[in-house]
Amino acid sequence: MSGSNRVLGRGGGSRIASGSTPVAQKRLNNSKNALLKVVILGNGGVGKSCLMNRFVSNHFDQHTFHTIGVEFLNKDLEINGETYTLQIWDTAGQERFKSLRTPFYRGSDVCLITYAVNDGNSFKDVSMWCKEFLKYADVKEGSSFPFILVGNKADVSEGERQVTQEEAQNWCKENGNPPFVETSAKNASNVELAFRLAVERWTKFEEKLDRHYENEVVDLRSVKPPERVSCCMSATASSEE
Amino acid sequence: MSSNDQLSKAAEKTETLEESGEQGMELCSHHGVTLKMHKNYDCSGTLSLVQYGNIKYIEWKSAEVNVDSDTQDQEWAVVSTGRSSRHRSSSECARAEPLRMNTVNLRSFKVSRHRHGQHLTFAKREESRSLTTFIFLHGNADSFVKALLGHLKAYRSKKDRNLYHLDEGDNQETQELRRSFAELNLFTETTPYGMWNLIGQFRQRPYETAMGAFCKVTDVLLYRPVENDESNVAELLNHSFAMEDEAVIANVSGEEYEVIDSTTTPTLPSRPLVTRGSPLSVERWAQAMDVEGRVTDCTAIKKIIFHGGVNPTLRYEVWKFLLGYYPWNSTYAQRMSLRKAKVEEYYVMKHQWKSMTQGQEDRFADFRDRKSLIDKDVKRTDRVLPFYAGDDNPNVELLNSILMTYVMYNFDLGYVQGMSDLLSPLLQLMSNEADAFWCFAGFMDRTCTNFDIDQAGMKLQLQQLHTLLSVLDPQFTNYLDQHESGNMFFCFRWLLVLFKREFSQEDIMRLWEVFWSDLPCPNFHLLFCAAILDSEKELLYSHHAGFTEILKHVNELSLRIDLDSTLCKAEGLYAQLISIESDLPDAVRTIIGLEPLNPVQGDSEDDDIKEEEDDDGGDSTHTEHDSSIETVSLVASNEVVFDRGLNHQFF
Repeated sequence: MSGSNRVLGRGGGSRIASGSTPVAQKRLNNSKNALLKVVILGNGGVGKSCLMNRFVSNHFDQHTFHTIGVEFLNKDLEINGETYTLQIWDTAGQERFKSLRTPFYRGSDVCLITYAVNDGNSFKDVSMWCKEFLKYADVKEGSSFPFILVGNKADVSEGERQVTQEEAQNWCKENGNPPFVETSAKNASNVELAFRLAVERWTKFEEKLDRHYENEVVDLRSVKPPERVSCCMSATASSEE
Repeated sequence: MSSNDQLSKAAEKTETLEESGEQGMELCSHHGVTLKMHKNYDCSGTLSLVQYGNIKYIEWKSAEVNVDSDTQDQEWAVVSTGRSSRHRSSSECARAEPLRMNTVNLRSFKVSRHRHGQHLTFAKREESRSLTTFIFLHGNADSFVKALLGHLKAYRSKKDRNLYHLDEGDNQETQELRRSFAELNLFTETTPYGMWNLIGQFRQRPYETAMGAFCKVTDVLLYRPVENDESNVAELLNHSFAMEDEAVIANVSGEEYEVIDSTTTPTLPSRPLVTRGSPLSVERWAQAMDVEGRVTDCTAIKKIIFHGGVNPTLRYEVWKFLLGYYPWNSTYAQRMSLRKAKVEEYYVMKHQWKSMTQGQEDRFADFRDRKSLIDKDVKRTDRVLPFYAGDDNPNVELLNSILMTYVMYNFDLGYVQGMSDLLSPLLQLMSNEADAFWCFAGFMDRTCTNFDIDQAGMKLQLQQLHTLLSVLDPQFTNYLDQHESGNMFFCFRWLLVLFKREFSQEDIMRLWEVFWSDLPCPNFHLLFCAAILDSEKELLYSHHAGFTEILKHVNELSLRIDLDSTLCKAEGLYAQLISIESDLPDAVRTIIGLEPLNPVQGDSEDDDIKEEEDDDGGDSTHTEHDSSIETVSLVASNEVVFDRGLNHQFF
């Protein structure tokens, strides 16, 4: 129920068509591709803008400005023959700007919670970001939301690393088993994968809502996670070489 | 959902009048309403519209003793935040008799804003002198009026937007037509907020939606081809920006309901052609000083700077005056000793954070947070400029040191993202750490409200920009309002770092010195915003840009704005405003530094419905709440911002 409320809330009635796939529903809003609103969250300096820029324009600039206000970019992504237009929202991470950031959470479809593997504090704040997002994205209490955990800056040396993959995986286990991936916007590893996982996560959620599998979060997730986890691990392993 | 359910949902409270033996259906009601009696006592109670058979009555009954109606209802408890002192518990006053008025006998009703909330006054048909006034202490009479409009055949007066005439029930069709026009009127005159509220009203009023005359209107409203995700965002932003709307309204005295819109906007004359002057030259600067080094005619100097900026070779010196590091009337000697003292002071403060031990730091989270933020941001500030480029650039280290020292200078403000942007050009120009610091401190004195913890300074500026724009370009303002952009959020970055991200380093120096001249008026930077928008609006129109498109377009203007022509246009806009100075609403006058024509004072006078003299003026529980105090207290609390946002929905 909460899920369909959410859909109604944003879609203004245009997505009520029952029996159709989530993509088809999304298309009703947008003539060509399904438009997904993706929000990237995380502490200042973990590389939110860099992830976005790497994904959208395959470009990396070590010295990009810190984001002021809110920015967004669009990028098409094809998954299983369906083309999605991702509208990626990037916000300023400092606490001070919270009141101007949180309105943009509303109406989002999927969320990337990010930290930097060489910044222990940014990992500690992951739960805070999760909470802030759920609070302001208008997600009904008790219901879950498609998000994924992203550990950026995986290119740093082992000596600089402050957050292990195990810690992140443990966090995921305790927080509804979201997909987890380590990325490096700098050397382009796993960045597209992260967005791909996010969209897949969204699709799973929407399908689940359509089938009215409420409260069966665990069952549905256990279908795929082993594959996901191994895919993350092997991918990150190769990125560290 | 049965229609009864929907009805009770539409009503804010569902209770029945105990005193009446008859079982009536309550159509809408409102707690915490005071009946204004001719005898000098007021009493809090519940005002409702109740239907008995085919006849609807306005009923009022005093509240139960010891029941604080406000705390019973979460929603209105929020509304009353910060103003609870105004509330008078019912036990304070004598119980008044319940009151019932047949709506058939009512001629009109009117809402008026007063120092102590809003008044809702009903006038009877027969005796035009017979008035009954209810006081909504929390200023939320509008919601009740909206509810009334859903149940009574009433139409809005053409002369007075706050006056509603009740129909005698002549021709059903004419009434409905009139009413739909009145509603449409409301739609165009109010902000998107009112519009959304209206939709809510429509959804809550199944009867009306069934009415033929309304069908088309609701269709337009409910199925507008608007991306709803965006609207949600815009709506939420409006929530957080709403308080300044209120502040502006409070500033407009007398006509407190006056929202500046196209119907009341004075017509501007055509924009004069403005050209830039030449920069302040070395010779002129030398001329400006007396033998001892005092700048004798700083007004003339500022004028030159406003029109043409400063010759780059002079900036190093002139900026110290513009930023208040050196007083204009200081002598060479005084400046030398001043600088010596300031440099010393700087190093004392620098030493404070430099000498912090690891253990101290570990136990000082606030310090650690600020330090970590600065560390991250200086690495990302203007690194493409040669001055800050490359690994281990000492200038990046200087940027860090100055910001850390500023944290010690003003720990409460600390470091907020955006400050490193403001410092970067200053350091590049001054090269010297201590000089750059004191110039930065002066710059921060001017702009620190941008970094308020509750962002009140930013919100105020966005609201002021909207107010200015509504006079400069009502059509465009209307477009923005209708495209979920009336909150002006898309100008956030411009204002936060004063266009630092929009211009090259050379241009930003030229722009800032113009701003620092404080000419021709305060908030010239807002006119500069308006000038940029004026150049972009045609493009926005042609693309039917909505909230996200406008935001994206404005973000992408970075480094593509022509400085000189925009400055000329901004100056032209100022000339236009000042040429109709006496016609400008006070809200605009105060923004550009003119005295308000009608300073805020007590209650407003009503013309259509003449009220009895406000007799609660001497009441000690009320006198402290004049509107200026209210405005100040609004800025103080986030909760109140929300409260205002909530209230604002009903306008």
